[in-house]
Amino acid sequence: MKAKLPLRWSIIGCCGLMIVTLTTGCARWVELMPTINSSQEPSVREIARDEQVPLVMNSVGITRNGSPQNLSLETEQRVLGTLREIGLFSHLGGTDSAEPPASEKFIRARLLFDETIDQHAGDTAWKGIVIAASMFTLTPFIPLKYDYATHVTLELERWDGQVKHYESHSAGTVHYQLFGATPLMIDELKGHVTESCLTALMQQMVNDTTFYTASSTPLFDRPMRSVSAKSQRSELAPVSVSLTSSSGK
Amino acid sequence: MRSQVLTVILLVTIILGASLPFSYAYENTPRLTVGTQEIGLSAGYLLPTCTRSKCKTKQSGPAIMPSWMMTLTDPIGDSWYQGQISLGVEIVYIQFQEPVFSHGIGFTPRIKYTFVALDRIRPYVEFAGGPFWNDLAGNIPEQNSQFAFILTGGLGVSYFLSNQVALNVGYRFQHISNAHTSYPNAGLNSSLPFGGFSFYF
Repeated sequence: MKAKLPLRWSIIGCCGLMIVTLTTGCARWVELMPTINSSQEPSVREIARDEQVPLVMNSVGITRNGSPQNLSLETEQRVLGTLREIGLFSHLGGTDSAEPPASEKFIRARLLFDETIDQHAGDTAWKGIVIAASMFTLTPFIPLKYDYATHVTLELERWDGQVKHYESHSAGTVHYQLFGATPLMIDELKGHVTESCLTALMQQMVNDTTFYTASSTPLFDRPMRSVSAKSQRSELAPVSVSLTSSSGK
Repeated sequence: MRSQVLTVILLVTIILGASLPFSYAYENTPRLTVGTQEIGLSAGYLLPTCTRSKCKTKQSGPAIMPSWMMTLTDPIGDSWYQGQISLGVEIVYIQFQEPVFSHGIGFTPRIKYTFVALDRIRPYVEFAGGPFWNDLAGNIPEQNSQFAFILTGGLGVSYFLSNQVALNVGYRFQHISNAHTSYPNAGLNSSLPFGGFSFYF
Protein backbone atom coordinates (compact mmCIF):
# COMPACT_ATOMS: atom_id res chain seq x y z
CA MET A 1 0.00 0.00 0.00
CA LYS A 2 2.82 2.34 0.97
CA ALA A 3 4.69 1.51 -2.22
CA LYS A 4 1.66 2.47 -4.30
CA LEU A 5 1.34 5.91 -2.75
CA PRO A 6 4.37 7.55 -4.45
CA LEU A 7 3.30 6.01 -7.76
CA ARG A 8 -0.19 7.40 -7.35
CA TRP A 9 1.17 10.84 -6.51
CA SER A 10 3.57 10.63 -9.43
CA ILE A 11 0.69 9.87 -11.79
CA ILE A 12 -1.41 12.69 -10.28
CA GLY A 13 1.58 15.03 -10.52
CA CYS A 14 2.23 14.12 -14.15
CA CYS A 15 -1.46 14.57 -15.02
CA GLY A 16 -1.47 17.93 -13.21
CA LEU A 17 1.65 19.06 -15.04
CA MET A 18 0.16 18.01 -18.36
CA ILE A 19 -3.09 19.86 -17.64
CA VAL A 20 -1.22 23.00 -16.54
CA THR A 21 1.04 22.84 -19.61
CA LEU A 22 -1.84 22.27 -22.01
CA THR A 23 -4.07 24.96 -20.51
CA THR A 24 -1.62 27.73 -19.70
CA GLY A 25 0.68 26.68 -22.54
CA CYS A 26 -2.13 27.32 -25.01
CA ALA A 27 -3.06 30.77 -23.69
CA ARG A 28 -3.13 33.86 -25.87
CA TRP A 29 -4.60 37.32 -25.59
CA VAL A 30 -4.65 40.51 -27.58
CA GLU A 31 -3.71 43.80 -25.97
CA LEU A 32 -4.79 46.96 -27.76
CA MET A 33 -3.05 50.23 -27.05
CA PRO A 34 -5.51 53.06 -26.47
CA THR A 35 -5.87 55.45 -29.38
CA ILE A 36 -7.34 58.92 -29.48
CA ASN A 37 -11.12 58.68 -29.85
CA SER A 38 -10.89 54.92 -29.40
CA SER A 39 -13.63 55.02 -26.77
CA GLN A 40 -16.06 56.60 -29.15
CA GLU A 41 -18.03 54.76 -31.75
CA PRO A 42 -18.23 56.65 -35.02
CA SER A 43 -21.44 58.59 -34.57
CA VAL A 44 -23.83 58.82 -37.45
CA ARG A 45 -25.12 62.29 -38.21
CA GLU A 46 -28.36 62.92 -39.95
CA ILE A 47 -27.79 63.86 -43.54
CA ALA A 48 -30.52 64.28 -46.14
CA ARG A 49 -30.35 61.84 -49.02
CA ASP A 50 -30.20 64.63 -51.59
CA GLU A 51 -27.29 66.13 -49.65
CA GLN A 52 -25.17 63.03 -50.05
CA VAL A 53 -22.51 62.89 -52.71
CA PRO A 54 -20.61 59.85 -54.01
CA LEU A 55 -17.10 58.96 -52.93
CA VAL A 56 -14.61 57.32 -55.23
CA MET A 57 -11.43 55.71 -54.01
CA ASN A 58 -8.66 57.21 -56.09
CA SER A 59 -5.72 55.27 -54.67
CA VAL A 60 -4.92 52.86 -51.88
CA GLY A 61 -1.33 52.49 -50.79
CA ILE A 62 -0.03 49.93 -48.35
CA THR A 63 3.41 49.87 -46.81
CA ARG A 64 4.75 47.35 -44.33
CA ASN A 65 7.74 48.32 -42.23
CA GLY A 66 8.42 50.98 -44.84
CA SER A 67 8.27 48.68 -47.87
CA PRO A 68 5.49 49.16 -50.43
CA GLN A 69 3.11 46.21 -50.67
CA ASN A 70 0.68 44.97 -53.27
CA LEU A 71 -2.75 46.50 -53.12
CA SER A 72 -5.05 44.47 -50.92
CA LEU A 73 -8.64 44.41 -52.12
CA GLU A 74 -9.61 43.13 -48.70
CA THR A 75 -8.25 46.31 -47.09
CA GLU A 76 -10.02 48.51 -49.61
CA GLN A 77 -13.30 46.68 -49.12
CA ARG A 78 -12.96 47.01 -45.38
CA VAL A 79 -12.46 50.76 -45.59
CA LEU A 80 -15.36 51.12 -47.99
CA GLY A 81 -17.51 49.03 -45.65
CA THR A 82 -16.67 51.30 -42.73
CA LEU A 83 -17.42 54.37 -44.84
CA ARG A 84 -20.76 52.82 -45.79
CA GLU A 85 -21.62 52.37 -42.12
CA ILE A 86 -21.30 56.08 -41.31
CA GLY A 87 -23.70 56.91 -44.13
CA LEU A 88 -22.08 60.16 -45.27
CA PHE A 89 -21.94 59.29 -48.94
CA SER A 90 -24.55 58.29 -51.47
CA HIS A 91 -22.38 55.80 -53.30
CA LEU A 92 -18.94 54.32 -52.69
CA GLY A 93 -16.66 53.29 -55.51
CA GLY A 94 -13.44 51.33 -55.29
CA THR A 95 -10.21 52.02 -57.13
CA ASP A 96 -11.51 49.99 -60.06
CA SER A 97 -14.65 52.15 -60.35
CA ALA A 98 -14.91 54.91 -62.92
CA GLU A 99 -15.05 58.48 -61.61
CA PRO A 100 -18.35 60.33 -62.05
CA PRO A 101 -18.36 62.98 -64.79
CA ALA A 102 -16.66 66.27 -63.93
CA SER A 103 -20.04 68.02 -63.97
CA GLU A 104 -21.10 66.06 -60.86
CA LYS A 105 -20.19 66.63 -57.26
CA PHE A 106 -18.16 63.84 -55.76
CA ILE A 107 -15.38 63.18 -53.27
CA ARG A 108 -12.09 61.68 -54.32
CA ALA A 109 -10.32 59.62 -51.62
CA ARG A 110 -6.68 58.68 -51.28
CA LEU A 111 -5.79 56.16 -48.61
CA LEU A 112 -2.43 55.12 -47.21
CA PHE A 113 -2.02 52.21 -44.80
CA ASP A 114 1.33 52.18 -43.10
CA GLU A 115 1.74 48.93 -41.19
CA THR A 116 4.49 48.25 -38.68
CA ILE A 117 5.15 44.70 -37.61
CA ASP A 118 7.55 43.71 -34.89
CA GLN A 119 7.59 39.97 -34.41
CA HIS A 120 10.49 40.06 -31.90
CA ALA A 121 12.27 37.41 -33.95
CA GLY A 122 15.51 37.37 -31.97
CA ASP A 123 13.69 37.26 -28.67
CA THR A 124 11.44 34.48 -29.95
CA ALA A 125 14.40 32.46 -31.21
CA TRP A 126 16.17 32.61 -27.84
CA LYS A 127 13.00 31.78 -25.97
CA GLY A 128 12.44 28.90 -28.39
CA ILE A 129 15.86 27.50 -27.58
CA VAL A 130 15.16 27.77 -23.84
CA ILE A 131 11.76 26.09 -24.27
CA ALA A 132 13.32 23.30 -26.32
CA ALA A 133 16.16 22.85 -23.82
CA SER A 134 13.62 22.51 -21.02
CA MET A 135 11.84 19.76 -22.98
CA PHE A 136 8.85 22.14 -23.26
CA THR A 137 8.21 22.20 -19.50
CA LEU A 138 8.84 25.97 -19.46
CA THR A 139 6.26 26.58 -22.18
CA PRO A 140 3.60 28.00 -19.80
CA PHE A 141 6.11 30.36 -18.22
CA ILE A 142 7.67 31.86 -21.33
CA PRO A 143 5.26 34.13 -23.18
CA LEU A 144 5.95 35.16 -26.76
CA LYS A 145 4.61 38.28 -28.42
CA TYR A 146 3.88 39.84 -31.80
CA ASP A 147 3.34 43.58 -32.27
CA TYR A 148 1.28 45.17 -34.99
CA ALA A 149 0.62 48.87 -35.51
CA THR A 150 -1.06 50.70 -38.31
CA HIS A 151 -1.11 54.34 -39.28
CA VAL A 152 -3.86 55.27 -41.70
CA THR A 153 -3.83 58.48 -43.67
CA LEU A 154 -6.94 59.44 -45.59
CA GLU A 155 -7.11 62.40 -47.93
CA LEU A 156 -10.53 63.46 -49.13
CA GLU A 157 -10.70 65.90 -51.99
CA ARG A 158 -13.97 67.72 -52.47
CA TRP A 159 -15.37 68.61 -55.91
CA ASP A 160 -14.12 72.18 -55.54
CA GLY A 161 -10.55 71.01 -54.98
CA GLN A 162 -10.44 71.48 -51.21
CA VAL A 163 -8.65 68.69 -49.41
CA LYS A 164 -9.22 67.35 -45.91
CA HIS A 165 -6.52 65.29 -44.32
CA TYR A 166 -7.23 62.67 -41.64
CA GLU A 167 -4.81 60.50 -39.74
CA SER A 168 -5.22 57.75 -37.22
CA HIS A 169 -2.86 55.42 -35.43
CA SER A 170 -3.52 52.22 -33.59
CA ALA A 171 -1.30 49.50 -32.14
CA GLY A 172 -1.68 46.18 -30.44
CA THR A 173 0.21 43.15 -29.21
CA VAL A 174 -0.74 39.53 -29.11
CA HIS A 175 0.78 37.66 -26.20
CA TYR A 176 0.84 33.92 -26.54
CA GLN A 177 2.38 30.74 -25.28
CA LEU A 178 4.00 28.38 -27.78
CA PHE A 179 1.12 25.90 -27.96
CA GLY A 180 -1.36 28.72 -28.40
CA ALA A 181 0.28 30.05 -31.55
CA THR A 182 -1.89 29.97 -34.64
CA PRO A 183 -2.04 32.08 -37.82
CA LEU A 184 -5.55 33.02 -36.70
CA MET A 185 -4.24 35.04 -33.74
CA ILE A 186 -2.27 37.33 -36.08
CA ASP A 187 -5.41 37.87 -38.16
CA GLU A 188 -7.34 38.61 -34.97
CA LEU A 189 -4.71 41.14 -33.87
CA LYS A 190 -4.67 42.86 -37.26
CA GLY A 191 -8.45 42.88 -37.32
CA HIS A 192 -8.75 44.54 -33.91
CA VAL A 193 -6.04 47.11 -34.61
CA THR A 194 -7.44 48.02 -38.03
CA GLU A 195 -10.95 48.29 -36.63
CA SER A 196 -9.76 50.58 -33.85
CA CYS A 197 -7.83 52.72 -36.31
CA LEU A 198 -10.70 53.03 -38.77
CA THR A 199 -13.14 53.85 -35.97
CA ALA A 200 -10.98 56.77 -34.88
CA LEU A 201 -10.63 57.89 -38.49
CA MET A 202 -14.36 57.77 -39.16
CA GLN A 203 -15.01 59.75 -36.00
CA GLN A 204 -12.86 62.55 -37.37
CA MET A 205 -14.70 62.41 -40.68
CA VAL A 206 -18.13 62.46 -39.09
CA ASN A 207 -17.14 65.63 -37.25
CA ASP A 208 -16.73 67.25 -40.68
CA THR A 209 -20.09 66.11 -42.00
CA THR A 210 -21.09 69.56 -43.21
CA PHE A 211 -17.97 69.72 -45.37
CA TYR A 212 -19.23 66.82 -47.48
CA THR A 213 -22.85 67.83 -47.96
CA ALA A 214 -23.83 68.71 -51.51
CA SER A 215 -24.96 72.17 -50.46
CA SER A 216 -21.70 72.99 -48.68
CA THR A 217 -20.24 74.64 -51.73
CA PRO A 218 -21.37 75.09 -55.34
CA LEU A 219 -19.91 73.11 -58.17
CA PHE A 220 -17.30 75.41 -59.62
CA ASP A 221 -15.44 74.57 -62.72
CA ARG A 222 -13.23 71.75 -61.68
CA PRO A 223 -9.63 72.76 -61.20
CA MET A 224 -7.39 71.93 -64.08
CA ARG A 225 -5.13 69.26 -62.86
CA SER A 226 -1.55 68.98 -63.97
CA VAL A 227 0.76 66.32 -62.75
CA SER A 228 4.49 66.51 -63.00
CA ALA A 229 6.36 63.31 -62.44
CA LYS A 230 10.09 63.12 -62.07
CA SER A 231 12.10 59.95 -61.78
CA GLN A 232 15.28 59.62 -59.83
CA ARG A 233 17.66 56.77 -60.31
CA SER A 234 19.02 56.57 -56.81
CA GLU A 235 15.92 56.87 -54.68
CA LEU A 236 12.19 57.00 -54.85
CA ALA A 237 10.81 60.50 -55.08
CA PRO A 238 7.23 61.53 -54.32
CA VAL A 239 5.12 62.58 -57.26
CA SER A 240 4.33 66.25 -56.93
CA VAL A 241 0.85 67.32 -57.87
CA SER A 242 0.02 70.94 -58.56
CA LEU A 243 -3.51 72.21 -58.90
CA THR A 244 -4.39 75.23 -60.96
CA SER A 245 -7.95 76.50 -60.89
CA SER A 246 -9.28 77.17 -64.36
CA SER A 247 -11.92 79.46 -62.90
CA GLY A 248 -9.36 82.18 -62.76
CA LYS A 249 -8.90 82.17 -66.52
CA MET B 1 10.63 -9.79 -40.01
CA ARG B 2 11.07 -6.45 -38.19
CA SER B 3 13.42 -5.13 -40.80
CA GLN B 4 10.85 -6.06 -43.42
CA VAL B 5 8.25 -4.05 -41.55
CA LEU B 6 10.60 -1.05 -41.46
CA THR B 7 11.37 -1.46 -45.13
CA VAL B 8 7.63 -1.43 -45.83
CA ILE B 9 7.25 1.77 -43.74
CA LEU B 10 10.13 3.33 -45.65
CA LEU B 11 8.55 2.40 -48.97
CA VAL B 12 5.12 3.65 -47.86
CA THR B 13 6.72 6.98 -46.88
CA ILE B 14 8.32 7.33 -50.30
CA ILE B 15 5.15 6.26 -52.14
CA LEU B 16 3.00 8.63 -50.08
CA GLY B 17 5.39 11.45 -50.81
CA ALA B 18 5.44 10.64 -54.51
CA SER B 19 1.66 10.42 -54.76
CA LEU B 20 1.02 13.82 -53.20
CA PRO B 21 -0.82 16.34 -55.39
CA PHE B 22 1.74 17.54 -57.93
CA SER B 23 -1.02 19.35 -59.81
CA TYR B 24 -0.92 22.12 -57.25
CA ALA B 25 2.81 22.59 -57.56
CA TYR B 26 2.69 25.85 -59.42
CA GLU B 27 0.08 27.72 -57.43
CA ASN B 28 1.18 30.86 -55.65
CA THR B 29 4.06 30.77 -53.19
CA PRO B 30 3.35 29.04 -49.88
CA ARG B 31 3.29 31.57 -47.08
CA LEU B 32 3.96 30.10 -43.70
CA THR B 33 3.14 32.53 -40.93
CA VAL B 34 3.64 32.56 -37.18
CA GLY B 35 1.69 29.68 -35.69
CA THR B 36 1.69 27.46 -38.78
CA GLN B 37 2.10 23.88 -37.66
CA GLU B 38 3.98 21.15 -39.44
CA ILE B 39 3.52 17.41 -39.11
CA GLY B 40 6.27 15.43 -40.73
CA LEU B 41 7.46 11.91 -41.30
CA SER B 42 10.96 11.12 -42.42
CA ALA B 43 12.82 7.89 -42.90
CA GLY B 44 16.42 7.10 -43.64
CA TYR B 45 19.23 4.68 -43.15
CA LEU B 46 21.85 5.12 -40.44
CA LEU B 47 25.45 4.62 -41.47
CA PRO B 48 28.53 4.59 -39.22
CA THR B 49 30.74 7.66 -39.38
CA CYS B 50 34.14 7.37 -37.86
CA THR B 51 35.54 10.63 -36.55
CA ARG B 52 38.25 9.04 -34.40
CA SER B 53 41.24 6.95 -35.35
CA LYS B 54 39.73 3.79 -33.92
CA CYS B 55 36.09 2.90 -34.38
CA LYS B 56 35.07 -0.52 -33.23
CA THR B 57 31.33 -0.45 -33.71
CA LYS B 58 29.89 -0.09 -37.19
CA GLN B 59 26.27 0.57 -36.30
CA SER B 60 23.72 0.76 -39.06
CA GLY B 61 20.01 0.39 -39.62
CA PRO B 62 16.86 2.12 -40.74
CA ALA B 63 15.45 5.11 -38.87
CA ILE B 64 11.95 6.56 -38.72
CA MET B 65 11.34 10.13 -37.50
CA PRO B 66 7.82 11.47 -37.02
CA SER B 67 7.82 15.12 -35.98
CA TRP B 68 5.70 18.11 -35.05
CA MET B 69 6.86 21.70 -35.47
CA MET B 70 5.52 25.20 -34.99
CA THR B 71 6.59 28.19 -37.08
CA LEU B 72 7.78 30.83 -34.62
CA THR B 73 8.53 33.76 -36.92
CA ASP B 74 7.51 35.29 -40.20
CA PRO B 75 10.40 35.55 -42.69
CA ILE B 76 13.36 37.34 -41.13
CA GLY B 77 15.78 39.34 -43.24
CA ASP B 78 15.54 40.46 -46.85
CA SER B 79 18.47 38.81 -48.59
CA TRP B 80 19.49 35.25 -49.51
CA TYR B 81 19.44 34.33 -45.83
CA GLN B 82 15.81 35.34 -45.39
CA GLY B 83 14.16 32.62 -43.39
CA GLN B 84 11.90 31.40 -40.65
CA ILE B 85 12.49 29.70 -37.33
CA SER B 86 10.48 26.67 -36.30
CA LEU B 87 10.44 24.79 -33.05
CA GLY B 88 9.08 21.36 -32.33
CA VAL B 89 9.71 17.82 -31.28
CA GLU B 90 10.68 14.64 -32.99
CA ILE B 91 10.61 11.00 -32.09
CA VAL B 92 13.59 9.11 -33.44
CA TYR B 93 13.32 5.39 -33.78
CA ILE B 94 16.38 3.49 -34.98
CA GLN B 95 16.45 -0.21 -35.59
CA PHE B 96 20.08 -1.17 -35.41
CA GLN B 97 20.85 -4.03 -37.80
CA GLU B 98 24.55 -4.01 -37.04
CA PRO B 99 26.55 -4.92 -35.00
CA VAL B 100 23.63 -6.64 -33.22
CA PHE B 101 19.95 -6.41 -33.87
CA SER B 102 18.66 -3.85 -31.36
CA HIS B 103 16.50 -0.78 -31.01
CA GLY B 104 16.77 2.82 -29.96
CA ILE B 105 14.10 5.42 -29.41
CA GLY B 106 14.53 9.09 -28.53
CA PHE B 107 12.44 12.16 -27.89
CA THR B 108 14.17 15.26 -29.14
CA PRO B 109 13.19 18.93 -29.16
CA ARG B 110 14.11 20.26 -32.59
CA ILE B 111 14.82 23.74 -33.92
CA LYS B 112 14.95 24.54 -37.61
CA TYR B 113 15.86 27.56 -39.72
CA THR B 114 14.31 27.44 -43.18
CA PHE B 115 15.60 29.67 -45.97
CA VAL B 116 12.61 31.02 -47.89
CA ALA B 117 14.25 33.16 -50.56
CA LEU B 118 14.02 30.41 -53.21
CA ASP B 119 10.23 30.24 -53.30
CA ARG B 120 9.13 26.58 -53.34
CA ILE B 121 12.58 25.11 -52.82
CA ARG B 122 13.51 25.79 -49.22
CA PRO B 123 16.81 24.65 -47.78
CA TYR B 124 17.04 24.37 -44.03
CA VAL B 125 19.41 23.67 -41.18
CA GLU B 126 18.25 21.89 -38.07
CA PHE B 127 19.41 20.87 -34.65
CA ALA B 128 17.84 18.42 -32.26
CA GLY B 129 18.82 16.71 -29.09
CA GLY B 130 17.30 14.73 -26.27
CA PRO B 131 17.16 11.52 -24.29
CA PHE B 132 17.61 8.27 -26.17
CA TRP B 133 16.93 4.79 -24.90
CA ASN B 134 18.62 1.90 -26.63
CA ASP B 135 19.47 -1.73 -26.06
CA LEU B 136 22.52 -1.59 -28.24
CA ALA B 137 24.45 -0.53 -25.14
CA GLY B 138 26.08 -3.44 -23.36
CA ASN B 139 26.64 -5.17 -26.65
CA ILE B 140 29.26 -2.71 -27.81
CA PRO B 141 32.47 -1.48 -26.18
CA GLU B 142 31.58 2.24 -26.50
CA GLN B 143 28.44 2.31 -24.35
CA ASN B 144 27.20 0.36 -21.37
CA SER B 145 24.13 2.34 -20.35
CA GLN B 146 20.79 1.98 -22.07
CA PHE B 147 19.94 5.56 -21.18
CA ALA B 148 21.81 7.91 -23.47
CA PHE B 149 21.39 11.13 -25.40
CA ILE B 150 21.17 11.75 -29.08
CA LEU B 151 22.35 14.96 -30.71
CA THR B 152 21.55 15.74 -34.32
CA GLY B 153 22.66 18.45 -36.72
CA GLY B 154 21.51 18.40 -40.29
CA LEU B 155 20.88 20.06 -43.60
CA GLY B 156 17.93 19.49 -45.84
CA VAL B 157 15.78 20.81 -48.62
CA SER B 158 12.00 21.04 -48.69
CA TYR B 159 10.19 21.20 -51.97
CA PHE B 160 6.63 22.47 -51.65
CA LEU B 161 4.29 20.45 -53.83
CA SER B 162 1.42 22.66 -52.70
CA ASN B 163 0.91 25.30 -50.04
CA GLN B 164 0.34 22.55 -47.50
CA VAL B 165 2.62 19.72 -48.53
CA ALA B 166 6.37 19.51 -48.92
CA LEU B 167 8.83 16.77 -49.76
CA ASN B 168 12.03 16.76 -47.75
CA VAL B 169 15.43 15.25 -48.36
CA GLY B 170 18.54 15.82 -46.35
CA TYR B 171 21.49 14.63 -44.37
CA ARG B 172 21.98 14.42 -40.63
CA PHE B 173 24.95 13.83 -38.45
CA GLN B 174 24.04 12.02 -35.24
CA HIS B 175 25.96 11.56 -32.07
CA ILE B 176 24.87 9.13 -29.39
CA SER B 177 26.50 9.16 -25.97
CA ASN B 178 25.54 9.05 -22.30
CA ALA B 179 26.99 12.45 -21.37
CA HIS B 180 29.32 10.82 -18.82
CA THR B 181 26.44 9.51 -16.77
CA SER B 182 28.12 6.10 -16.90
CA TYR B 183 31.35 4.47 -18.01
CA PRO B 184 32.42 3.90 -20.74
CA ASN B 185 31.28 6.86 -22.80
CA ALA B 186 32.78 6.75 -26.22
CA GLY B 187 30.23 8.31 -28.53
CA LEU B 188 28.72 6.68 -31.55
CA ASN B 189 28.68 8.90 -34.60
CA SER B 190 26.48 8.26 -37.57
CA SER B 191 25.39 9.70 -40.87
CA LEU B 192 21.73 9.62 -41.71
CA PRO B 193 20.59 10.46 -45.22
CA PHE B 194 16.82 10.73 -45.14
CA GLY B 195 13.70 11.57 -47.11
CA GLY B 196 10.14 12.33 -46.10
CA PHE B 197 7.27 14.73 -46.30
CA SER B 198 5.63 17.44 -44.22
CA PHE B 199 2.08 18.62 -43.99
CA TYR B 200 1.45 22.25 -42.97
CA PHE B 201 -1.75 23.57 -41.41
